[in-house]
Amino acid sequence: MAKVLMKGNEAIAEAAIKAGANNYFCYPITPQTEVAEYLAKRMPEVGGVFLQGESELAVANMIFGAAATGKRVFTTSSSPGISLMQEAISYMAGAELPCVIVNIMRGGPGLGGILPAQSDYFQSVKGGGHGDYRLLVLAPSTVQEAVDLMMLSFHLADKYSNPVMMIGDGMIGQMMEPVEFPDVYVEPEELPEKKWAITGAKGRKPKVVKSLFLDPYQLEDSSWHLHEKYELMKKNEVRFERYKVSDKNEMMLVSYGTMARICQTAIDALEDEGISIGLFRPISLFPCPQDAIYAEAIKKNIKDVLVIEMSTGQLVEDVERAVVGKKKVSLFGRTGGVVPSPEEVINKIREMVTKKSKKTKTKKKA
Amino acid sequence: MTSHRLNKWESPKIEKPVNIIVGGYGSGKSEVSVNLARFLVLDKSFTARPISIMDLDIANPYFRSREASAELEKLGITPINPEGAQFYADLPIILPQIRGAIETAAGTLICDVGGDDVGARVLSSLATSFDSSTYDMILVLNANRPFTSDMAGCLKTIGEIETASRLKFTGIISNTHLMDDTDEEIVMRGIELSKEVSAETGLKLYFVSAEQKILDKIKQTNIDIPVLPLNRSLLKPWE
Repeated sequence: MAKVLMKGNEAIAEAAIKAGANNYFCYPITPQTEVAEYLAKRMPEVGGVFLQGESELAVANMIFGAAATGKRVFTTSSSPGISLMQEAISYMAGAELPCVIVNIMRGGPGLGGILPAQSDYFQSVKGGGHGDYRLLVLAPSTVQEAVDLMMLSFHLADKYSNPVMMIGDGMIGQMMEPVEFPDVYVEPEELPEKKWAITGAKGRKPKVVKSLFLDPYQLEDSSWHLHEKYELMKKNEVRFERYKVSDKNEMMLVSYGTMARICQTAIDALEDEGISIGLFRPISLFPCPQDAIYAEAIKKNIKDVLVIEMSTGQLVEDVERAVVGKKKVSLFGRTGGVVPSPEEVINKIREMVTKKSKKTKTKKKA
Repeated sequence: MTSHRLNKWESPKIEKPVNIIVGGYGSGKSEVSVNLARFLVLDKSFTARPISIMDLDIANPYFRSREASAELEKLGITPINPEGAQFYADLPIILPQIRGAIETAAGTLICDVGGDDVGARVLSSLATSFDSSTYDMILVLNANRPFTSDMAGCLKTIGEIETASRLKFTGIISNTHLMDDTDEEIVMRGIELSKEVSAETGLKLYFVSAEQKILDKIKQTNIDIPVLPLNRSLLKPWE
């Protein structure tokens, strides 16, 4: 298919249709409402379901019900809306139902603002709802990657029978970029049959999809079973990208989503000044690419690990956990909808590199 | 300033005091509006001054013409935007001075409207302020956008926007692009579609707009309509 120009939100919507997800439930919220606007036009063309619920609570429970039929289902929202969906997300994880949830993040906490942010990392990666569960979390940095990861999200949701969340800051949803869709979407690998799907019990025993286990031993079994799935995800689904990583790097940046692109611009500019910096960009946030971050961070040439995110510090905690104190991990964060410019990032790096080299010089003199 | 260097084509002609720039999402309305204002203020032969630019986008939360206000103000263009915290909102707020600025437009006013019929709906609440003899409503057309890639799509968009805005189009701007992937062929294909839509609807094709670096690669004889060279102002943070 030829390239077209699409807004991230529209491209995410079209990618879902490409992946055979024809059941969409939503409630509008800036900065992701164009997903709903686009699908209101598109779903009737493909014979799908478009339903705007009365609230995010209703929508998330519609997803729960629709997912139980074994069909591919999804919703999109933004930070406060995603908070409202947490109960049903926990239920779906408990009931092992596949579905895809997209969070186009805006500034929080509370109603916050409508500008881009990355402050829902904890919510996405560490739970959000109650109970021992995990979501598989993916974070694109371009509109094309949002398309690719959206299609992959449906595949992974079915593979693990688990909700998958794709998160992007508001810019991912709002910006326009050229994108390409496959003519026909092909599953990367064969998927398990959905034997649990509720399709009408005529002529067979009824099936039950639930997250309720009154017997504590059954609930414990179920929780350990879920845990095994999450361990499998950690083994099989780690995704990341490195940019200009070499043994000349003085520092390693860790950044995800569009923030990583700002870091790339900064890295290119610093390269011209003779300062060599590498970037580690996690694509899967759960599973966190912990081992790969550790492997890069402990390299001799790396003096500093700097995490750059649009929050007051969330990803940084997982990076610290990965680096286990072997190197100093610092944070540069802007939040509330303030997007750092490449110049700010450059200045921060320059300041750190200069301090380091001054220290080294003083040591040598002594 | 490159936008003011000698244009090898005819310059865009702006004929009315009020120019309403409308189109689908991603057609490039805001970039065209900002560049048109800048082009006119720097064009010494253009006398319908002062030049103002009004951001009427209540549909998009980001990448709006108001973000270029500081740069335009320095050139002597008057930006008319929501004030204070409302600057950052996407709420359907119409400042009191908006209606006044439209009704008493002196010089040239460029109104940058939000995308699709959703964005154009704001115009319907102002429709009584527009005097049909003093305004042009111009469709910005990008043939690389899914909903305006062919004649049927363009006619549908035109119809939807006219219904939502309660105003009639008077012309078209060909602004076909694919961001950084734009090439000469894409610009030329866009002109073709715009000419076809112009012939079908009777709407005047005002001009083609494209980035200066693409225009530099196109032969003078290949474009027979006025040209607005673009120098992008509404950039992403990493650009």
